[in-house]
Amino acid sequence: MSDKQVEKAFAELCSQLGGAAPEGLRELDAAQLRLLTAAIADARHRQAEALAVAGDRALGHIPRLLRGPIRRVVR
Amino acid sequence: MSRAADTLQTHAEVAKLAQLLDHEPAKLEFLERLSLEDVRSLRERITEALFDAQDASLRRLAVASKLLPPAVSASIGERAFGPLLSARLAGLLEPSKAVDMAGRMQPPFLADVAVALDPRRARDVISRIPADQIAAITHELVAREEYVTMGRFVGYLSDGTILAALEQMDDKALVQVAFVLEDKSTVSELVGLLPKSRLAGIVRAAADNDLWVQALDLLGHTTERQRKEIVAATAELDHAALEALVSAVIQYDLWQEVLAIAEQDATLQRKLAERVRSLPAPRRRELAAEAAAAGSIKRLGVLGEALAGRRSKAGSRASSGP
Repeated sequence: MSDKQVEKAFAELCSQLGGAAPEGLRELDAAQLRLLTAAIADARHRQAEALAVAGDRALGHIPRLLRGPIRRVVR
Repeated sequence: MSRAADTLQTHAEVAKLAQLLDHEPAKLEFLERLSLEDVRSLRERITEALFDAQDASLRRLAVASKLLPPAVSASIGERAFGPLLSARLAGLLEPSKAVDMAGRMQPPFLADVAVALDPRRARDVISRIPADQIAAITHELVAREEYVTMGRFVGYLSDGTILAALEQMDDKALVQVAFVLEDKSTVSELVGLLPKSRLAGIVRAAADNDLWVQALDLLGHTTERQRKEIVAATAELDHAALEALVSAVIQYDLWQEVLAIAEQDATLQRKLAERVRSLPAPRRRELAAEAAAAGSIKRLGVLGEALAGRRSKAGSRASSGP
């Protein structure tokens, strides 16, 4: 696997992290770096989905009178 | 730190990272060849990325929660948000409100939250949770063998709360929690909080559960006085336990770590002296130099003589035996 591929995969990981990744991770090969990047992206996706679902579910537990003000704050 | 301790610590770090990503640890095993520092740093950066990803939405939820009574917020947390989002929200809530809410939640749910929580982001909340509640959560975490989670929290608890947590940990859990503490300088503080009656349990737990790497790492981070107290409190180890200890020393190259215990135990000195002769000469000289620098070579009896390359009468007898 070429250094170029590792560099590209390392840059994608940094982008997913929103900043620099530890330099030691350059020891990994491109496939491992891509697997790690995908795992982080999956975790972020799951977290965003959970948040969307929880927001809707939460409204069911809020007294009716407060639902309007809460919706206005959250959206 | 021994290579074995380093390997096990890196393994524990990868387990923490897998837990954070909700990923199978086996699929991230390739990270174990990185240094401990790199894996830890990676985990911290992923934590930042995940916590920052929905920061704006989470902050709006935290503001909205101010409109609700704590009982309603707690019920929403437990029934609608679940542990992951509750963990993300904990550090964004007013600490007194978060503590009030936590007081209305069940320990099994709070244990789930603890697993997903970044203690650095919720330190003001964690430090205000009452000792009895910390004890109930610890009880739950011990039952689940969540040593890594407990290890992440110790540095954020007061002495009184740690004491309550320690009462819930058996010796096996204590040794394993101490091993994964993020700040090893707190090991001696933790051991300092233990009642003297529990000191013997540390070595016994290692003997009963094959936790010598973890126990010797723990002993290596205690003060000399504590080490002496722990070893002195340990009832003489039986033959099987001593053999297991010697095997662990050979298998994981824990010579440096075992010298502190060997100083206190003539039987162990004799058993180790028999094995030290098979070490490569440079390694033996290195250990001898370390023991001499620490001033312990004379206190190591026949083991000290074997390290120094001298053949004692006892050693000769041992090596010429059946």
